[in-house]
Amino acid sequence: MLYASLALSAQTPEPDISLSPVANSWPTYNGDYSGRRYSSLAQINQSNVHSLQLAWAFQTHAATLKSTPLQIGSILYFTVPDIVWAVDAKTGQKIWDFRRPSEGDHLGQRGVAYYNGRIYFGTPDAHLICLDARNGNKLWDVEIADVKFGYYLSIAPLIVKGRIILGTSGDEADVPHFIEARDWETGKLVWKTFALPQPGDPAAKTWPNEKSMSRGGGAMWITGTYDPDLNLLYWGSGNPHPVLAGVGRAGANLYTSCILALNPDTGAIVWSFQASPHDTHDWDAVETPVLFDADFHGKPRKLIAQASRNGYFFVLDRKTGENLLSQPYVKINFSKGVDAKGSPIPDPATEPQPDGALVEGAADGATNWMSPSYDPQTKLFYVNAQEGYGYWYLALGPNGLPEDHQGGGSQSLISTSVLLALDYQTGKVRWQRESGIGLGTPGILTTAGHLLFTGDISGNLLALDPENGTVLWHTRGGGSLSNAPMTYQLNGRQYVLTGVDGVLYAWSLPSN
Amino acid sequence: MDKEDAKRGNDKYQQSCAICHGTDARGGSGSSLIDSSLVRHDVDGNLIGPVIMEGRTSKGMPAYPTFTQGQISDIAAFLHARIEVTNSVESSGPVGGYQLKKLLTGNVEAGKRYFNGEGGCARCHSPQKDLAGIASKYSPVELESRFLYPPVDLRTATITLPSNKTITGRLVHLDAFYVAIIAGTGWYRSWPLNTVKVEVKDPLDGHMELLHKYTNKDIHDVFSYLETLK
Repeated sequence: MLYASLALSAQTPEPDISLSPVANSWPTYNGDYSGRRYSSLAQINQSNVHSLQLAWAFQTHAATLKSTPLQIGSILYFTVPDIVWAVDAKTGQKIWDFRRPSEGDHLGQRGVAYYNGRIYFGTPDAHLICLDARNGNKLWDVEIADVKFGYYLSIAPLIVKGRIILGTSGDEADVPHFIEARDWETGKLVWKTFALPQPGDPAAKTWPNEKSMSRGGGAMWITGTYDPDLNLLYWGSGNPHPVLAGVGRAGANLYTSCILALNPDTGAIVWSFQASPHDTHDWDAVETPVLFDADFHGKPRKLIAQASRNGYFFVLDRKTGENLLSQPYVKINFSKGVDAKGSPIPDPATEPQPDGALVEGAADGATNWMSPSYDPQTKLFYVNAQEGYGYWYLALGPNGLPEDHQGGGSQSLISTSVLLALDYQTGKVRWQRESGIGLGTPGILTTAGHLLFTGDISGNLLALDPENGTVLWHTRGGGSLSNAPMTYQLNGRQYVLTGVDGVLYAWSLPSN
Repeated sequence: MDKEDAKRGNDKYQQSCAICHGTDARGGSGSSLIDSSLVRHDVDGNLIGPVIMEGRTSKGMPAYPTFTQGQISDIAAFLHARIEVTNSVESSGPVGGYQLKKLLTGNVEAGKRYFNGEGGCARCHSPQKDLAGIASKYSPVELESRFLYPPVDLRTATITLPSNKTITGRLVHLDAFYVAIIAGTGWYRSWPLNTVKVEVKDPLDGHMELLHKYTNKDIHDVFSYLETLK
């Protein structure tokens, strides 16, 4: 491993990533540790958002932008698979790019992490690359997992206490997935925690045998959140393997499709909540686990909320993992209600069948990796959701077991997209805005300017009133919003960034 | 990857390796070769060859020094083909494809009854006209998803202008701000939504209503009936 020592830390302060709202900078994937994607900036607000205009655009000439840019001082850092750009946050002028063609899955790249003058970048062949943030020079490169098993890195790493936290993506072979922590300076492994129980863990009883458990999946697709006071790291895990065939893995299949609370110093799982026990629909539970402090049924609580891909909105006490609310936010029929722990009870009739089973709920899930937002001003939780129907097949070999990693297939019949504002205390929809027929991946940003930024899948970029969904500003960016909007203020000017396919747009108020 | 190589490799593998590594290479008394990093990183036998030639005596695998380079290359081709079958990135269906007989569990007569009665399909469709030969036109899985909800947008819109004149055409765009149609003239036309009245008709409404009420048995019956329309 090549490692060049550079005295960088003297010139570059550590960005403050706390639970307090994102202010002038956006130093991490979600802006801060909480995952709320709420900014305290209010220069752009309800009184002037109608005059929002283009400040600059950056043309990548590359793949669809799915990453959330970081803003550190006057530099933005954003990615597509294989490429990192550093761009002037005032002008959109390219400062440098780093390109590293690789084998592996190029489905998505959600962004980078920044720490002490360094940029941390995951690749399609499952390497973690450390770059000098000043010039994009590579400082080191470590292999996290074996690309030949379909492992890759799609998530933006998270920096906690000087450690790089990341997890493996991949959906090609039956393999175990994991979260790990590495030293910021050297890339050396500090701890590694699998999304599957180790032999001897009581959770091992949720698998029929060690063989199925040892390659049982639980991929990581989205960056987690962190509470510095409780010193707990929250991370959502993906579906079990094989994906659609539950035969051969009877049981709840912990710790797949779970919200996990981990000790960031050791990687130990402190508590887990399973969003989809014995998942046979690729529901995952990786959506951002959002942290906020608020009253719950008259009592102040430290909460964690997730609008999960299976269509349930979950609210838990983030200290203990105690379930406070499990409420469907779209029409779904895969579950027969919830158990004593608040986890949905899967209905075997809606599991994939050899001759097909109709399942209410979008085949791609009720939401996916697009970022939700929680606005402490409205006390509402916002998610871009999908409704519809899918038809699910089970395909088994002559021995009654799946021949491949999927073990079946799903046909998406119809999907319609809708932006939902949820009351976190009931899970009920306060207001909704139809977004269009089909699927999209627009994320959400809320701000102290009493604004909600998102996009619909009809090609509109939008600023809405977060209280009721009224449109306050809209424009067409030549495609649909493909990443999550973010915002920052530089030299007294607030910018909002939106990625549309291969173009990054910066919006601001007229300079006069 | 050459299919012939893989076929010869399969024969040799079944003869010499399957007894420990399993007929499907997923393991038995010996390890799973599908889950072997060495096998996955192998190119044309460059890593598998030495293991076969020298064995792994500490793990109970004997050496096979008489294997030729060609036989090793064939076995490697067979194992890579097996890995390709077990890998799957998409959820669009099994790598080996669907078998019609596993899908045909419905009752043809019941399907026909549903088509002409409760389902209301006969209101718009006819086995003699638009559905003639439909089962030959699409693969079983495609036919099934198409009758459940056709992957087409057939919506029409009637636009009422401020003058009260109406224009009807195929709907091509409708959002909160704009509506656009291909009018009867064949020309594209669009209007800001706040200047016109729009009435949308969707011939697929019937398909959507059925999705709300189908049982899986209804679907399997109708599918089995449609599969008779060759």
